[in-house]
Amino acid sequence: MNMYLHELKSLRKSTVIWTCAMIAIALVYLSLYPAIFSDGAHFKDMLAGYPASIRAVLGVTLESVTTLLGFYSMIIGFVALCGGIQAMNTGMSMLSKETRERTAEFLLVKPVSRAAVVTAKILAALTMFLITDVVYYAGACVIASIVKQSSYSGSLFFMISLTLFFVQLIFFAIGLVVSVFFDRLRSVLPVSLGTVFGCYIVGAFIAAGKDDWARFISPFRYFDYSYIIQNSRYETPYLITGAVIVLVSIATCYFTYARKDIHAVS
Amino acid sequence: MNVIEIKNLTKNYGKARGVIDVNLEVEQGEIFGFVGPNGAGKSTTIRTLLGLIHPTSGSAEIFGKSCTTNPEVRKEVGYLPSEVFYYDGMRVIDLLRYSASFYKKDCTKRINELAEIMDLDLKKRIDDLSFGNKKKVGIVQGLIHEPKLIILDEPTSGLDPLMQQRFFDLIASENKKGATVFLSSHILREVQKMCERVALIKEGRIIKFEKMSTLQENNFKRIKVEGPSDLDKTIFDMPGVSKVENGGKTATFLFRGDINRVIRKLAQTDVSNLSIDEPDLEEIFMHYYSKDG
Repeated sequence: MNMYLHELKSLRKSTVIWTCAMIAIALVYLSLYPAIFSDGAHFKDMLAGYPASIRAVLGVTLESVTTLLGFYSMIIGFVALCGGIQAMNTGMSMLSKETRERTAEFLLVKPVSRAAVVTAKILAALTMFLITDVVYYAGACVIASIVKQSSYSGSLFFMISLTLFFVQLIFFAIGLVVSVFFDRLRSVLPVSLGTVFGCYIVGAFIAAGKDDWARFISPFRYFDYSYIIQNSRYETPYLITGAVIVLVSIATCYFTYARKDIHAVS
Repeated sequence: MNVIEIKNLTKNYGKARGVIDVNLEVEQGEIFGFVGPNGAGKSTTIRTLLGLIHPTSGSAEIFGKSCTTNPEVRKEVGYLPSEVFYYDGMRVIDLLRYSASFYKKDCTKRINELAEIMDLDLKKRIDDLSFGNKKKVGIVQGLIHEPKLIILDEPTSGLDPLMQQRFFDLIASENKKGATVFLSSHILREVQKMCERVALIKEGRIIKFEKMSTLQENNFKRIKVEGPSDLDKTIFDMPGVSKVENGGKTATFLFRGDINRVIRKLAQTDVSNLSIDEPDLEEIFMHYYSKDG
């Protein structure tokens, strides 16, 4: 419990910043919605003028872009990108910062097992993601109810928003497993930014082709928003893939971290 | 009962040497010295003992248990690393409370007590502390839970002489209360002052393992001879003599063995002055390094 609270405290500041950033994204884009709605035909014409592949890269579905949910599913892509960076960064730095900042000699000579250390850290991170997402979701709901032009499905809005948490989970787990193998990194930000942006861009270009198997490459493409809006559910194969990535990564992290040598100051 | 038991411990870092076949036992209540130059393997041994690194072969146990499989034995261990690093943005008192929270004891009184002895300001932020003051945080942190085994890795670096003295007094009083102390150092003075038994480590191997008193006695004498004229260099060519420094009229050397042999030899020489001293540990130590390696 003490480790969990300590971790929560150390994540406090970054969580506040990320949450604000995500709400800001939602605010900026959603506030454009009334204008887009009122000028829907022109907006669609303009987008139709773009090549289909560019529209796919931007995550635009022509038919639904002027509905609130359709518009929101474009925005959630940017929010999820933000959340992905937050999560991967947290995942990568949680364990490795103990070695990098040389506090491992404090923490890991305490009468606790390595597994207990990992558990406390993972739980603290998950708590912070949940707080981020709940606050973001509340903020997004309020903004949406202000800008809406007609009623929309609250449960679909929730389902679309929830993909943020799934994306965070996946990148967090990837971050964890990367960090136990490369703990001598001077700085984690370039790696996490690179990986998440890489996945995002790869995902964007894959989306242009719509290859089903290729979508497995980028966690950002595990959630097809027009599918969610049409069917009110997630696509099972991708959901399972996401879960497998998370479970395998976390298991590997536990296994490797318990057997790892914590090297001295060098 | 042995508090520390290290058996055939070998640790390699890839191809690089860590320690080779180290065997070591520390009994309850003693102050044990672990001496060697930088890079000899002192920290590797300690870190294996604490479960920070895993042995390549052999075992390292505290109170009969390995820290890797039984992390809870570390409850009785206080560790002061050679360089202390703590979480940024914490005040000293926060860190000490966090540390205490791992031991499920109320340590408030003890924190204040130790802070007073070590002259440590609890309200300061750790980032603002100097190296020496951080070291003090480390000392207090290592002792707040009144551990039965205190492991010190180069404890005095960064401390001023007054604080070093207070620190050693503190350790001595802990030892009187029953704590076993494992003191690793390359400063022999410290070890000489504190320890009852000592192990010397060089290039990953334990090369000598002795009672402090035997190590000092062991018939080692530092002999200084002065002659009226230049001394005959050949008179020191005899077994047991080492580290000869011959500077014309005066010569100093270490002698180990039957003292009568030197006296007889010296009796044949014209000597104007002669002194025979106990060598300090440093000299004995250097002797082991130059010969047994």
